[in-house]
Amino acid sequence: MRYHNFSFALLTAFAVLQTTAQAEVKVGLVTDVGRVNDRSFNQSAWQGVTEACEQLGAEEGKDCKYIETRDAKDYADNIDQFIEAGFDVVVSVGFALGEATASAAAENPETFFIGVDQFQGAPLPNLAGLIFNEDRSGFLAGALAANLTESGTIASVLGTDLVPPVVAFGEGFIAGAKYIKPDINVITTYHPGEISQAFTDPEWGAATTKQAIDKGADVIFGAGGITGNGALQEVAANEGLFCIGVDTDQWLTLPAAHPCLVSSAMKLITPGVIDLIKTFSDGTMTSGNYFGGSALAPFHDFDDQVPAEVKTQLAEIKTGLEDGSIKTGYGQ
Amino acid sequence: MPESIKRIARAVSSALLVPIMALIVAFALGAVVMTLFGDDPVAAYQGLYDGAFGSAKAWARTLLKTTPLILTGLAVAVAFKAGLFNIGAAGQFIIGTVCSVAVGIHFEGTPLLIHLPAALLAGIAGGMIWGAIPGLLKVYTGAHEVITTIMMNYIASLFAGWTVYAGGRQGQSPGPLWDPTARAISETPDVLTSAQLPLMGNPRLDLHLGIIIAPLAALLIWWLIYRTTFGFEVRTVGRNADAARYAGMYPRRTTVMAMALAGGLAGLAGAIETLGLNHKFAPEFGGSVGFEGITVALLAQTHPLGVVFAAFLLGSLEAGASRMQFESGVSADIIDVIQALVLIFVAAPLIIRSLWPGKRSSLAAGTKTQ
Amino acid sequence: MNRMRRRSSLLTLLAIAFVVTAIWVNTTSFAEGSWQAQWLPLFFGVSALNFMLRAAVPLILGALCGILCERSGIVNIGIEGMMLTGAFAGFVAKVATNHWPLYASLSVSVVAAMAAGGLMGLLHALFSIRFRMDQIISGTVLIILAMGLTAYLYDRDAVAQGKFTAVAIPFLSDIPVIGEVLFTNPPITYIALILVAVVHVALFHTRWGLRTRAVGEHPGAADTMGVNVNAYRYMNTIIGGMLAGLAGGFLVLEAVGQFQEGMTAGRGFISLAAVIFGNWTPFGAMTASMLFGYTQALQNELLLAGVAGIPRQFVSMIPYVVTIIAVAGLVGRVRPPAASGKVYNKDGQQ
Repeated sequence: MRYHNFSFALLTAFAVLQTTAQAEVKVGLVTDVGRVNDRSFNQSAWQGVTEACEQLGAEEGKDCKYIETRDAKDYADNIDQFIEAGFDVVVSVGFALGEATASAAAENPETFFIGVDQFQGAPLPNLAGLIFNEDRSGFLAGALAANLTESGTIASVLGTDLVPPVVAFGEGFIAGAKYIKPDINVITTYHPGEISQAFTDPEWGAATTKQAIDKGADVIFGAGGITGNGALQEVAANEGLFCIGVDTDQWLTLPAAHPCLVSSAMKLITPGVIDLIKTFSDGTMTSGNYFGGSALAPFHDFDDQVPAEVKTQLAEIKTGLEDGSIKTGYGQ
Repeated sequence: MPESIKRIARAVSSALLVPIMALIVAFALGAVVMTLFGDDPVAAYQGLYDGAFGSAKAWARTLLKTTPLILTGLAVAVAFKAGLFNIGAAGQFIIGTVCSVAVGIHFEGTPLLIHLPAALLAGIAGGMIWGAIPGLLKVYTGAHEVITTIMMNYIASLFAGWTVYAGGRQGQSPGPLWDPTARAISETPDVLTSAQLPLMGNPRLDLHLGIIIAPLAALLIWWLIYRTTFGFEVRTVGRNADAARYAGMYPRRTTVMAMALAGGLAGLAGAIETLGLNHKFAPEFGGSVGFEGITVALLAQTHPLGVVFAAFLLGSLEAGASRMQFESGVSADIIDVIQALVLIFVAAPLIIRSLWPGKRSSLAAGTKTQ
Repeated sequence: MNRMRRRSSLLTLLAIAFVVTAIWVNTTSFAEGSWQAQWLPLFFGVSALNFMLRAAVPLILGALCGILCERSGIVNIGIEGMMLTGAFAGFVAKVATNHWPLYASLSVSVVAAMAAGGLMGLLHALFSIRFRMDQIISGTVLIILAMGLTAYLYDRDAVAQGKFTAVAIPFLSDIPVIGEVLFTNPPITYIALILVAVVHVALFHTRWGLRTRAVGEHPGAADTMGVNVNAYRYMNTIIGGMLAGLAGGFLVLEAVGQFQEGMTAGRGFISLAAVIFGNWTPFGAMTASMLFGYTQALQNELLLAGVAGIPRQFVSMIPYVVTIIAVAGLVGRVRPPAASGKVYNKDGQQ
């Protein structure tokens, strides 16, 4: 084994000699408790890493790797694996990793950290928090839902209220719906469990959605990782109802929701991660809080069912949110 | 003299034969599973080894993972000795954590020599109470401890969740141990320095005093079980409660005390994990080491000193898992598969022995748990 | 025995009172803003009842598994593992047959789920009978094995397309409230409810049931009467495993439409409690499962209504506290089958 390591070191040294002209970037990603291909935020972030690596000529599986976190106690350990191996950039995904990421960044000033969904209260020069205006895309989703509902009742089935981005989606959704129809009835539920279960409990998402449907809701916003996916699939099993996804364009990631999926309230994690990795590789290195894009996904097959005036209205709202003439009322 | 040495040697080799064979077979089967599903077992095991023993940091990780497993393993093993199956180590661990944190974050200005033992004792006491309840229920109502300890696990984690709950959008007020400076995060403040377990050696390795306390506890439990009257009673009750009663013992009292002792050990595990390593409690720091205690105890065939080695084995698997994933890309879930396989072959020695020709008659006994 | 009967008639009365109240609440319109309008639908509304039934189905199936095993003398705490394996196998089969017509694909997946559960049952029987492993340990091993294997083998890029949807039963579904709750459900829910009656009849009114119970109570006596004790135990454990597998199939193919690691989330343990609460009878276990389902429904109704006075963690504790009270016998002492958990050897060794 020792021999093996030695020859490996020689090889790497040789490789480094050969390519000194072009500084190679090594990027590592640590997931939240969950999987790299969860059809949700871990997956979007990992996609950002792989695309950035491709563009920078780094090899996936060697220079770009991920570690899936098994236990919340291991966040720091997993980040350490990349630091010990001399990786240049470490992406940590999720609000819950904020503390472990910040302390690793403070101890390792040579390494650049990207914290997805991690708001930076006390910015460090080598740590960028990729955050989003989730309330804005939630607002757009709410406005769309209020335009689509016939029963006058809409619902949101959300991951935990212990995670601010989720609350931002939920509050934005309510505000957007009320902006269109002030007297609309919005049923809002957050998963009652801890962070570790709140995003991985599809049956709760589905059962709660059924409950909301029983109470008359006909447009349902499912926002909360796999829990939210459970909600969307439950809506899909009922005819004539609409559902709205979250994070990415879920039309592409969750085909099972096609029967009801009008749109998704997106936060564009993938491009945000790519941009941040690139700022490191070209030496400009952004730190502090970095706002990624947020928008409504295309309507795909439901394009005909959304009237043209609603589309115009949504576009106006989007502009209004961006220039500040419309406020979501969240965190302001 | 040589006869007795021979006897001891025979006893030791027969005690070690099953676990060692079980390990070999389980790792081999794990390799087969990995090969079948397109993973490289050699790279995986290499990564596992590097992550557990490849550097000082790796060794430290292994020892830190081993420490709580020794104590939860003892918690399960002690109950087994009394004929009880304690699935509740997870809940007892969590309650121990919460109690030690509650003491550790308060009482500023108390000297370490008082504060630290008080916080440890609070953890032990919490665990003891949580363990004694199923014992009492068993003795007075006949409720099976398997069901009650499982339910107590759920209740413990919900209760702990409530104590640190940050308060949410739905209007519920925050829990009593919540740290308001953590904004929206559900967690306690850091334990005061006067209640933290002192570090030993290089502070970057986080090696705290707990890694010594745990093996000492194993030694103490061994002495208690095999060298004291109480231990004799526990073992007698575990073998046959009726016989114990005829012999003038009090099986009810022994049952409750054994469960309390078990709970206290798991509670101590929680206290050490908190005061030594995490320095705070958050709901994500669940009680998985409590469940792994079951594997540890069975692997050790419920012997208190065996527990130390079994915990070390599992601790190194856990410590190496990240590195294995990093180096070989094999999902860390394979660790659970290997653990289950080890457990199967340890718990059903007849399977291993049926692979081992001859010698069948003397080895026919089932697992020594009752 | 008398007390037992009194307890079950009391439970029946309570159940009837509950149903009557529910019908009354859902067919009456209360004044806007009155306490009735605010609180009664929370406790008895159709959405609460639907949630109760939905949460109860996997518990009922798991409990039937427990009853079959324990009645024949095999303690099974591995229901959780059998469910999880069933769920996983159902998912794999569903993904493999995605391109088939929906119902064909779903039916095949149900069969796969049950087969996988049955295999786990066989494994449990082999460990307990052939290899004389402690049955409680064998159950624990099954759980750990199922958790590890399903997580390791789960291909997260695989997507299951579609799930069972509600089938309204003609005429019956038009009955107010009852029709909406009981007769507008997806298929596995109906199957579970029918199975309760089937297992009841099989256990108490057939020769097979008599023998099963004899094997679980007095294996020695059964043996002398010429019953093959271990054959009955194997059979019951395998059938039980199939039912637990069906419970897993329910989660994947009817409730969610997707697999998720550890998605059984303790349902196997709760069904074990339902077995004991229900005194090892199918209808008793069903009532207990409904009760557990109801406490979950209530928790969610309170969440939806934004009731925050009681911390939600304490509301979530209710099922577990109820279980402890139940097994502690405060609702009447219960007795497991006498030989449950004991290895049977012809020569009388244990």
